[in-house]
Formats: sequence, C-alpha cells, structure tokens
Amino acid sequence: MQWCWLVSFAICALLPTSVLAEAAVEGRVELPKSHSAPVVVQRYEIITKGGVLSTSPPVAVVYLDGPFSKPKSLPTKQVAQKDLAFLPSLLPVQAGTKVEFPNLDDTYHSIFSYSPAKRFDLGRYRPEEKPIPSEVFDRPGLVTLRCDIHEHMRGLILVLSTPYFVVTDAEGQFRLSGLPSGPHTLKAWIDSKTTREHPVELKGGGTLHVDFP
Amino acid sequence: MSSTALNQRGVASFRTKLLAAIMLVVSALAALGLYFTERKVMGDAERDLRLDFQAELSSLHKVQELRHAALAERCSALVSKPRIHAALEDNALDLLYPSAKDELRDLMEEEEPASKQAASSLHARFYRFLDGAGGVLSPPHPKDVGVLSARAEAQLVLTKLPETQQIGYLSEQADPAGETVDEVMAVPIFSTETGNVISALVVGFKAFELAGKRADAEMRSGIWVNRRLHLPSLPPSTQAALSSEIANAVARFDRPQSNFTVTVNGALHLLFYKRLNPDSLFSPAYEICLYPLASSIARQHRLRWQVGGAGALLLLVGFVASHIVAARFAVPVEQLAVDSEKNRAQRKRAEAALASTSEELKRSARYSADASHQLKSPVTVLRAGLETLLAREDFTPEVYDELSALLHQTYRLTGVIDDLLLLSRMDAGHLQIGCEPVNLSHLVEEWLDDLGALPDSLAVKIEKEFPAELYVAGEKRYTSLIVQNLLENARKYNRPGGRIRVVARKENNWVVLTIGNTGRSIAPRAQEHIFERFSAGANVSGHGLGLNLALELARLHQGHLRLLRSGEDWTEFEARLPAAPPGSDGVVKSA
Repeated sequence: MQWCWLVSFAICALLPTSVLAEAAVEGRVELPKSHSAPVVVQRYEIITKGGVLSTSPPVAVVYLDGPFSKPKSLPTKQVAQKDLAFLPSLLPVQAGTKVEFPNLDDTYHSIFSYSPAKRFDLGRYRPEEKPIPSEVFDRPGLVTLRCDIHEHMRGLILVLSTPYFVVTDAEGQFRLSGLPSGPHTLKAWIDSKTTREHPVELKGGGTLHVDFP
Repeated sequence: MSSTALNQRGVASFRTKLLAAIMLVVSALAALGLYFTERKVMGDAERDLRLDFQAELSSLHKVQELRHAALAERCSALVSKPRIHAALEDNALDLLYPSAKDELRDLMEEEEPASKQAASSLHARFYRFLDGAGGVLSPPHPKDVGVLSARAEAQLVLTKLPETQQIGYLSEQADPAGETVDEVMAVPIFSTETGNVISALVVGFKAFELAGKRADAEMRSGIWVNRRLHLPSLPPSTQAALSSEIANAVARFDRPQSNFTVTVNGALHLLFYKRLNPDSLFSPAYEICLYPLASSIARQHRLRWQVGGAGALLLLVGFVASHIVAARFAVPVEQLAVDSEKNRAQRKRAEAALASTSEELKRSARYSADASHQLKSPVTVLRAGLETLLAREDFTPEVYDELSALLHQTYRLTGVIDDLLLLSRMDAGHLQIGCEPVNLSHLVEEWLDDLGALPDSLAVKIEKEFPAELYVAGEKRYTSLIVQNLLENARKYNRPGGRIRVVARKENNWVVLTIGNTGRSIAPRAQEHIFERFSAGANVSGHGLGLNLALELARLHQGHLRLLRSGEDWTEFEARLPAAPPGSDGVVKSA
C-alpha cells in the first residue's frame, strides 16, 4: 500500500504538469566566502582546509531530511574523471543510487574510498573502460572519493536518504519543489563539518522561503 | 806526605762531584726523554685509534646516509600514498596496515640479504604506524608487518609525533642466542587535509655493524641503546659491566662523543663512543668501538725499553765522557792544587829565611850599634888626650903637626862611628822620623856657606838654581844629612877650578834636588855599587857610608836617590823628596 503511494508519488513528481498539491521551498544559503578570484569557466573542485572538505567555489546541498522510502529504481548517476579531477566534484545522491565513474582522461585512474559510508576500490582502469566502473551507494553519509594514482584528486558523494535535494548556485540560491507537505526538516550541507538545518511546515501548493544564515 | 794525600783526596772528591753532576744531568735527560716519549706514544696511539674510529664512523655514516636517503625517499613516497592518507584521514585504521602492506611489500618481502650486503639493501624487518599521540597502532596481523616483542614495540613509542624524520635504535630479543639491534626510521605523515602530522611510519632495519678494517687492531664494535650494550663478541656479563661504564661516561661528560679506557677481560682497551642519533626523539643510541690497547702498550713497553736502553747507553757514554771531562777538568785543578802546595812550601821556606835574615839583621844592627857605642868612648878619650898634648908648648913643630893629624883622624873616626850608628838604627828599624815642613833651600844655602868656608885649594865655582822657599816633608836633621853628603861628595870628587851646580824644583808632589859636579866620572862598573856600604872611590878619602846613608834616609822619607849621569867631566845625582803638603804632619816609621 505504501509503496503504491510512493510509486504514484514518484510518477507525479516526474510529471511537470502535475496537478497534485506539492510544496516548494526556495531561499538562499549563506555560503562561506570564497577567496579564489572569479574565473570565467567555473570549475568546482573539492578543497580541504583544516580537515574540512568543501567545494571551491563554495556551494551547498539543500535537502529535505528523510527518511523517505527508497524508490524501486533510481537513475544512474555519473562522476567522471576529467582533467585529473572529479566531475562533478560534489554529487548528492539518494541512497541506493548507482554511480558510474567514467574515465574521460588519457591516463589510468584508480578510484577508491575508505569512507565509512562506502568503502570501495575500483582498481586501476583505462579510459573507455567497459563496462563503466560503478558502485551503488546505499548508506547515507559523505563519501570521499580518491584516486590511488593521482593523490590530489578528491571528490565527494553525499549519500542522502531523501529524494528531495538540490545543489545551490554559486550565490547560494536554491529552489526545491515537489516536496511533500507536512512538518519536515530542511537541511543545508555546506561542508564536511557543517550542516545547517531548519524546521519547515510544508503546505501543498505553497512556496516557503527559507534562508540559511 | 799527609798534605799530598789530602790533596789527592780533594782531587778525587772533585772528580766524584763532577761525575755525579754529569750523571745527574744525563739521568734527568734520559728520564725526561722517557716521559715525553711515553706520553707521545700514548697520545699517538690514542690519536691513531681515534682517527681509525672516526674513519670507521664516517664510512658507516656514509653507508647509513645512503640508506637513510633511499629509505627516506621510499618512506616519503609511501606516506604520501592516497590509500594510507585515506585510511588515516577517513578514519579507516583497519585498512591502514592492509593498504601499507601492498605498498611496503617489496621492502618486507625481499629476501633477507646476507649481512655483507645489508648495508646496500633496503630490507625492512618490520614497520609500524604511530597514532596521533605517538603510540603504536597495533597491526591486525603482526606476521605481515614483522613480529615485535612487546618490549621492542614499547621502545617505538614516542612522546609526540615527529615533524621530521627520526632515527632510532631498539634492542630486540630476536633469537635465543642474544639480542639484536634494529635501526628504525620514523617518517612523519602529514595530513593532506589539515597539514598536521597525523601519524608516522616507523620502519625497522637490521642495524649496520662496523667492520674493522684494521687487521692489527681487533676492533670490536657495538651499539649502546636503552642503557644496554650490544656487543655480541663479548660475554653478557662483560657487556653489562661495560654498559654501566658507558652510562657513567655518557652521564658524566654529556658529550655526543668521547673516549675512555676500560679494562675488558683483564686487558686495557680504549673505548670510543659517539651518538648515532643526535636530536632524535628516540632514546639516545651510541656507536661503541672497543680497541685493544695491547699492541700500543706493547709498543710502549718496547719503547720504554728502547728509551731506557738509550738512556743507559747515554749514561754509560756520559760516564766515560764525564770521566774524561772530569779528568781534563781535574788536570788544571790538580795542577793548581800541586802548584799551590809547592807555593805554600816555598812561601814557608821564604818566610823562614826571611825570619832568620831579619833576626840576623837585627842582631847585626844591634851589634853595629853596640860596636859604635863601644868605639865612641875610646875615640873620645883618644881625642881628649891628643888635645891635652896639643895644649902643651914643649914639643917640636913636627910633633904638633903629627898630633894635629891624629886629632883630625879622631874626628873622622867619630864621623864614621856616627854614620854607622845611624845606619844600624835604621837597619834595626828603630829610627823614627818626624814629618814636618823643612825648607830645603835654606838647608842647601847653609851647607853651601859651610862648604865655601872650608880651607882647600880646589877653588870650585858654585852654581845655584832654586827658589828661596822649597819645603819638603821630613825631619830636618836627616834631610840636612842627605844634602850634606851630596854636597860634600860634589866638592870631594871635584877637580881644581871645577864647578858645582845645585838645582831644586817642585814636580807635582815631589821636590827634586839635583847636584852635579865636574871631575872624574865614576866607572860604569862602579856605578852599580856606589850606593852600597863601604864602596867609596879608592883614590879619594872617604869612609864609603855617605851615599848609602843618604839613600837610606831618602827612602825613609818615601823618596829616592839616584845617579843621574856620570861621564865627560860631569857627575850628577838626583834626590827626590816628598813636597810638604800645606798643614801636614805625621810620623813615618822606617820599614
């Protein structure tokens, strides 16, 4: 019964012309100041500073904290290795998502993670490796991606137990829509050590404005 | 005879002293030579061994540095491995050792090399990671990472994580036979996230052993760490004893390297030590080198004998040389002694002779004085009788002439007796003269007047050349006698129509009186004797005492009388008498 509801919910969520009463949240996350000079092509990379992993320039992941039941199938996501960096450098996924790690460089990569949320080791693989090495991330938590060959490479996969999440833009603006109504906790992941939260009472059809200071 | 013996004894004593002095000097030189040679030998031995130790150490250090460099490179490559970082940073410590196992496989799984190649090999015996507090992270499977005893593992614990690479040494009971020493290198692992030291990799190797290059010196080397000495070639008890000595030395000197002598198995050894891991967080370890001093002591003994022999030889040579030298030195001294002995004898004889002569002189003077007195009385009686006879008027003129001649002879006799008396008093040393100013010019004038009044047929012309006042220091009576004698002689030995020249002048502190006269000269052979008693000219009347008396009187006045010249109708005497100093007086005793 419950999963029927969930399936219908998912279908509704996928339909842009959904008529179901859905809530939305928008607002702004106050991001830490980026000290890097603005560049034309913004490339996001994971930087570590004082043991804290964050993206640079900083972005945040805003999500509606679960738990929400896992759908039967989830779209496969990709974290590519391009120019000796992970692309995207920060990937939020719902728990249970399969993530592929295509090697778009001309060199070998050996992606692994010792993070408690997910330990895996893809071993060395060539560009154009088929099938594309992949892992399923089914435990919520932050997974640090490393390359055994290129020690500077860092990537983050934020495994969430919710399907409602969005990455802010560089200014911290976000908009989450299609949210279930009811009392929830809206969270903003800013870096590996900082997650802000905000209780929200979502109502169908309404758009709530939440700012994270 | 006894004096000669004494003399010989003196000479012998001089020789002995000289010999003793020379032997003393030679002995002192030999002793000094021995002392300095021994010191030099000891110093040389120590320096040689120290140089050897330094060379050994430096070769060891070179090898160690090579290994350390290679190791450091390996380790720093290792500790920057993403898996190790991931394990440490992502709190996956259970994956730490498994991750490192792959990375360190080549280090650990290489064949354990033969000890000779140990230096160039990078074979690790074990490795461990330290946690953030410096404690050892226990490996899940110790077999994979090298088994360590709990005691050895405890030695790996550091008080804090090192910022730089550290070298340490730990003792390990590896096999029942004895302990081995492992060299460990700790390499810090910096977090890529925080930049802080989050861990350290400690890799243990078999420690190097110094290989003694010197064949002659049985050098033994070991390592002193954790107050324990590891010198496998020594029995454990000796090692323990040595260890405490090293501990004392290290505590006492507080220097990274030094040396001291120790007795090992009853033989003297020189022990060098040097800190192997200065400024390390691990416990201090010292390289120990033990050099037997037997050979150097043997060399020292040999040298001691050589120097001693040389010294003895030197002593012998010195003895012979000193003997010769002493003999040479002694010859003049002996000669001196003999001479002085001779001189003494001669002096004694001379003194004796002098004494007897003086006695004889005194006796003769006394005799002469007695004789003069005894003679004077009969002469006086004779004269008185003759004068009485002359007073009578009943003799023929021939008788009167005869009586007058006889009376004249009595006067002459009286003069001779007076002179003799005076001379005998002088000879006996009884004549004392005063020392008062006497006007010599006045005396001469008086005597010249008397001379002019004498009735004779010579018609002598008198020439005078002297100042009116010329004072001599003396006694007027005797000064007058000198002048009288000289003037009388000048008249007596003159020729008819001749002349007498009297000159007096002052020369410095002297008054020089010269009296010359014409007439027959004194024969050169007679000139030598004119001042002797009774040496008057044969053809002229005179008793031959006048000149002698005048000379003796002049001498008594500290003056002199001499014949200036005699020849070609001119004879001249010179009398030197001391001029009277103003206001002087005193008494001069005749010698």
